[in-house]
Amino acid sequence: MAETSITESSLTAALTDRLKATHVEVTDMSGGCGQSFTSLIVSPEFVGKNSLKRHRLVNAALKQEIAQIHAWSAKCQTPEEWDKERAATGGSDGPPLDGTTGGKVDGVSQ
Amino acid sequence: MSTIKDITTLDGWAQHLSSLPPSTLLIVSFNAPWAAPCAQMATVLSTLASEYPVTEPPSTSWVSIDAEELSDISESYNVTAVPFLVLIRNSQVLETVSGSSAVKVRSAIETHAKQSAKPDGEQPATSTNGSTATVDMADASLAPKDAEKQKEELFKRLSDLVKAAPVMLFMKGTPSEPKCGFSRQIVAILRENAVKYGFFNILADDEVRQGLKEYADWPTFPQLWIDGELVGGLDIVKEEMAGDADFFKPYSAKANGDVPATSS
Repeated sequence: MAETSITESSLTAALTDRLKATHVEVTDMSGGCGQSFTSLIVSPEFVGKNSLKRHRLVNAALKQEIAQIHAWSAKCQTPEEWDKERAATGGSDGPPLDGTTGGKVDGVSQ
Repeated sequence: MSTIKDITTLDGWAQHLSSLPPSTLLIVSFNAPWAAPCAQMATVLSTLASEYPVTEPPSTSWVSIDAEELSDISESYNVTAVPFLVLIRNSQVLETVSGSSAVKVRSAIETHAKQSAKPDGEQPATSTNGSTATVDMADASLAPKDAEKQKEELFKRLSDLVKAAPVMLFMKGTPSEPKCGFSRQIVAILRENAVKYGFFNILADDEVRQGLKEYADWPTFPQLWIDGELVGGLDIVKEEMAGDADFFKPYSAKANGDVPATSS
């Protein structure tokens, strides 16, 4: 059974499709190895859900993919929250890159 | 922070007993290395022990005994099942806890650690589990069990493990040596907020690592649990903090009356 490799675009497509996301940004943090990703997901599906529930929704939508990769980070916002943040910071913050060195995760072992 | 000492000989035991000052609470864990619930209990105990600073004279002493190897000692304390905990002060047995309930173990230890030895020695021994019949040994036996039962037991152990401390962190590595960037970050956040927490290194136990993913219905680590409930991973913890700077306040070492009264 062929295993599709996981890429920024394949994850973006999956999120847009499965979560009706209006905006998705996925960054490969593993230097192109397709093993660690961070993402920003904006979707109306998140409205009325607390942080845990939003992440669970994402986990469920990407169950197969997450099981295959090494690290996954996500920021889940409703369209309203995203608009507010953009207005405040004058541009989207994008996926969380804290603790990364130039977008690459430190201390990632085997 | 205290650590657990392994007692391997009868002499070692006798020596240790005689070296203890009468005020020290001696926490004795009887276990069988081949029994999985004992591995869990060892973690719970080392987590607890690390919360007790080493003092002079020692307020607590933590030892671990292989119940089968040193069966003479086990017999003298009526150990019929493992894991089994005996709390002793001034050569008197204060309480025993049979079985793998992390909650019972923690509360028994905390209760007795708070009390200093009463000079008239009026602490009667209490047993927190009614029957210490051999039924419990079955918990640690090698008899073949069907997968369903094993899973049930694993989940029971996990449900105790997540309650081993009010704030429990399941991480890759240890706080002093995190093995993953996310685990490292979450440890830093907890440290910055002076949070008192217990931790479990999931790299050291594959059964918990895989079992907890299913139990929590959460595919990744680190996982932070508060009061027995999953909070989430690093992202969620950061989001909670962003929403409420006092998110960890109730669990911080700075809380609980350290703030000087400012009465007008």
